[in-house]
Amino acid sequence: MSAAAPLPEDGPGWYLYGVAAAEEAPTARLESATAVDPQHPVALVVEGTLAGVTSRVSLEEFDEAALPQRLGDAAWVEQKVRAHEQVLEGVLEAASVVPCRFCTVYRTEAELRSFLAERNEELTRALARVAGRVELGVKAFVDRDRFAAGNNAVRELAERVSQAEGGRAYLESRRLEQLIGQELARFGAEVASALDERLRAAAEDGVLVGLQRPEVSGREEEMVFNGAYLVSEKPRFEQELATLAADFRGNGVELELTGPWPPYNFVPAKLGEP
Amino acid sequence: MSSRELESYRSGQPAQLADVLERVLDKGIVVAGDIRINLLDIELLTIKIRLLIASADKAREMGIDWWQSDPFLSGGNGHGQLEERLRKLEEKAGLPTTKEKS
Repeated sequence: MSAAAPLPEDGPGWYLYGVAAAEEAPTARLESATAVDPQHPVALVVEGTLAGVTSRVSLEEFDEAALPQRLGDAAWVEQKVRAHEQVLEGVLEAASVVPCRFCTVYRTEAELRSFLAERNEELTRALARVAGRVELGVKAFVDRDRFAAGNNAVRELAERVSQAEGGRAYLESRRLEQLIGQELARFGAEVASALDERLRAAAEDGVLVGLQRPEVSGREEEMVFNGAYLVSEKPRFEQELATLAADFRGNGVELELTGPWPPYNFVPAKLGEP
Repeated sequence: MSSRELESYRSGQPAQLADVLERVLDKGIVVAGDIRINLLDIELLTIKIRLLIASADKAREMGIDWWQSDPFLSGGNGHGQLEERLRKLEEKAGLPTTKEKS
């Protein structure tokens, strides 16, 4: 590990939530938002055509020596991540915003300003891509039991299991679980690719996000699809989603819409890196 | 759009923590700005964050050292054991062994 650089300036650092166009960026809405460090207000730092959405943060809390431990604290992470999200949602109500990564912190205002100035072109491009658009999330769930009851191969094997006895019954029931898993995975993949194709057609762009396990999603059903879409015509997208929901309901698939989100999934991954 | 269609998918619920974490954290973490974290730390942190995404509610219930109780990291009965077996096999076979993670 390299030796920690001496702090060039005493006092709190600058947490950067995201970047908006200076002429669009709201100030009124931000004042009531709770910052990642609740002691300090959320404020704009305007540099040229861009406005950084920022708040001051204690460097004792956010410095690199302290962060690894903080990030191991689930309660701390939840509070900060929610604050990060809520500040950006406030901005999103009035302006397009390029969200920064969690814990983007500058030690001094000068360094924050030089980031906004030096990366003006890159940030402006990223902003143009998401301007007037929002990120919407779509998830699809399948009820495992209902699916198993409706699948022929599963039903056949289930019948044999019910007739087997002793050790054989055990082995057959293991096989049955395996088969349900396989069939569900196959069905889920079909559903996912059909959904993604149709939703992409109603959006500017789309990405597939990792599936969440039931203890994460908070739903008993299996998640078979998790996508994020960059959408400019929200009503059209929602119309398509409603049509899809109606089409797939017969197969025991249920859809869930989340958002609008700040366009986390549609800004360059390396934005702000040196 | 008819009200029936509107009811055909769920929406408008308050954002779930998992969805927020997934978005805010999933692209990796803490590499922008001035505050730097050692690259190895980032790798470990990313694993922790993934676990956090996977078990935020459980973590809150447990309160302490939540990721250490996960078999994937603690090596209790998952990954760690597998690596240990691999190491032993490699030793037996006279191969260079898999590095032990600190």
